[in-house]
Amino acid sequence: MKASDLIGLDVVDRSGRVLGTVLELRCVLDGPPRGALAPPRIDALITSGRHAGFMLGYDRPQQRGPWLLRAIATRLHRNRRVIPWAVVEGYHSKITLSVDADDLPADG
Amino acid sequence: MSARRGPAGRGPAGREPAGRELFVHLHLLDRQVVDVDGRLVCKVDDLELAMDERGPYVTAILVGPRALGPRLGGRLGRWWAAIATRLLDPGRDPAPRRIDFAQVTDIGSAIKIARRTDELDIAPLEAWVDRHVIGRIPGSTHEGE
Repeated sequence: MKASDLIGLDVVDRSGRVLGTVLELRCVLDGPPRGALAPPRIDALITSGRHAGFMLGYDRPQQRGPWLLRAIATRLHRNRRVIPWAVVEGYHSKITLSVDADDLPADG
Repeated sequence: MSARRGPAGRGPAGREPAGRELFVHLHLLDRQVVDVDGRLVCKVDDLELAMDERGPYVTAILVGPRALGPRLGGRLGRWWAAIATRLLDPGRDPAPRRIDFAQVTDIGSAIKIARRTDELDIAPLEAWVDRHVIGRIPGSTHEGE
């Protein structure tokens, strides 16, 4: 599997509702140690209803920058979701979740 | 010397705190890879993932047109990957070139690896041009020296 196999897939919750498309993969450096670094492990999917464009880093609270760009990025991706990998059930032509959208944690 | 901290809350340069958070598009894909001597190696075209009971994790950096082509998608992506495959030597593995993540020593504005460029087998296109184009130019082998 490759990272690009996940990016761009639609995410569907347990009841079949489409929550958006995977735009970004959030990782933590806690994979099985094999060298100087622990490999990045995907711990969450960042989804949005919009296919085009990323959030220019504004999906991270610590990202600083012009307020206007933040406002535009936030507006364009206002239905952004952070979906923990722990609730992913399948990932082939689409990503299916083991929970309903309403049961997802607020922000990953 | 003061410790340098990067945009994602990095620790001192060259040492990564366990559990540091980063984003695949923002911090890894299309990043420059730099070898142990500081020479430019390649860009990150894709990432190979493996699964364990806790989820997917990165096992290798994938480089070259056969990694980038599928990522581009559509006709351009297929064309890009097909050209690279046709330039391969017969019998050579058509999988994208890879740099094992165990070689990565730092993730910052560039991704540093613990190997030298000439120890990596990641530039078959350059090798093909060297053999089939440059190698046929009279004098390219320095025979007259």
